Amino acid sequence: MLKREFKVNLKSFIIYLSILMIMFLVVYLIYPYIVTDETMKSMDELMKIFPEEVLKTFNMDMVSITTAYGWFKSEGFTFILLIIGIYASMLGGNIVLKEENDKTIEYLSSLPIKRKTILSNKILVSITYIILMLLIFGIFNYIAFLISGEFNQKEFILLSITPLFIALPLFSINLFISMFLHKTRKTIGISLGLVFIFYIINVLSELSDKVEFLKYFSIYTLADTRNIITNVKLNPICITISILITCIFVITSYIRYTKKELI
Amino acid sequence: MEEYILEIKHLKKYYGRAKGVEDVSLKISKGDIYGFIGPNGAGKSTTLRTIIGLINKTEGDILFEGKEINYNDLETKSKIGYLPSEINLYDDMTIKQLFDYHETFYKKDLTKRRKELVKKLKIDETKKIEDLSLGNLKKVGIVLALMHEPELLILDEATSGLDPIMQNTFHNILLEEKKKGTTILYSSHILSEVSNICDKIGFIKDGIIIKEDLTENINKNHYTYLVIKSKDIEKIKKELNLKIVKEENNKVTFINNIMPNELLKKLTKYKIDQLLINEISLEDLFINYYK
Repeated sequence: MLKREFKVNLKSFIIYLSILMIMFLVVYLIYPYIVTDETMKSMDELMKIFPEEVLKTFNMDMVSITTAYGWFKSEGFTFILLIIGIYASMLGGNIVLKEENDKTIEYLSSLPIKRKTILSNKILVSITYIILMLLIFGIFNYIAFLISGEFNQKEFILLSITPLFIALPLFSINLFISMFLHKTRKTIGISLGLVFIFYIINVLSELSDKVEFLKYFSIYTLADTRNIITNVKLNPICITISILITCIFVITSYIRYTKKELI
Repeated sequence: MEEYILEIKHLKKYYGRAKGVEDVSLKISKGDIYGFIGPNGAGKSTTLRTIIGLINKTEGDILFEGKEINYNDLETKSKIGYLPSEINLYDDMTIKQLFDYHETFYKKDLTKRRKELVKKLKIDETKKIEDLSLGNLKKVGIVLALMHEPELLILDEATSGLDPIMQNTFHNILLEEKKKGTTILYSSHILSEVSNICDKIGFIKDGIIIKEDLTENINKNHYTYLVIKSKDIEKIKKELNLKIVKEENNKVTFINNIMPNELLKKLTKYKIDQLLINEISLEDLFINYYK
């Protein structure tokens, strides 16, 4: 079953990974041509117009985007968090529910396999693909920065790991929600919606001290990139919370799935 | 004591407030073919899906080999074969890939039985699942349900989509299975389809088993249409207490299962204007039960 799950989910893995790689490849290829003294000067002037809060959202208040690595840490990283977040959410919302949606669950249920094993296989495949995506994309970026110029290797590795701490909770939350549904058409909206809501809440929380408390309601807070860029280390509290949320939703998904009406 | 492979006691299934099954109790002896007959929406599929653990029962007991069925016991599950009424399989696979995949779930070697069934049902394993017609899909479903030589075979509207020749082949396969000792629970809405091969038949209506009998008893056809015209018809109705099919003026058509001698004894005290006893086909009997 595991082999089949890897095969069935390979297509979406390749699509998401390709989106990320093509997008970043294009930026890396054109970056040397757009970053000239002249453009940097006009960029600096443009930066002065933007409020500090907006620059903070993209880490532009602390990172210079004069290099491709600088772009990666600022705007680029926002794209990574969003795309990985969408991939993990969609995977969580679909991987188990697809069997019900396609009604193949009736066949699968007639086989000598426990529901727990079905769920375990699907979770294992999902987590493997999420990690694999970060690993391949990390290697891709590493090679790009090796070619393009200097970069902080430790900082880069920590940044490459960070999306995992938002991807795993997003995957598990969507997996849990899917336990209460029977059709995948509902999960697409929920999965995408959750990613954007969490992201917007996170952006809002950085706009003003008055609404800073909102950060406690967003998964994206767990990707503490500002801390990595400033201190070059991971935030253990964020990692713990991320693992905790993932475990809670995975365990509750197991409990729910063993009792769920599958048709 | 008779050994039952499957015993269902007062099974009840509600979807929220909606009724799926109200009260289903049945016992199937080892090696028997049990016909589970009822119209669409009577609760046949719900009962079968509850047995295989796809949906949860609201009340009642499902005993397999004398013990409450445990869906986490893989040995129990590998003893059951299931053919759903609507077959949905992995479209991206070829039949061969699906059969190979199916085999990986079982500890024993299924190759021999697979080859036999593929040959009998004339299946081309190179075809893709998404390209199959309803009939061919059904044939693939039959192989999947039988390939691991289950002890209990659960069939839901098994022949829908099969042509008459293939239906016959399928029934012959079932009879061979029976000879080997396989127990079969065969659900259908067509009585004549199952009455030739079943040992026992249970009729389900509105989620309740309303009649259960050995097929030989049902086939003896001691059921008749009984038409009586009488001014005492109300008293006769009370006296006979039979299912009424048609009623107009003082003329009533009953489904009768009272033996002629006893019937005449009961009727002698009334003034009868007209008395007719007609044969009733199994199909008619079935239809009238569900009126």
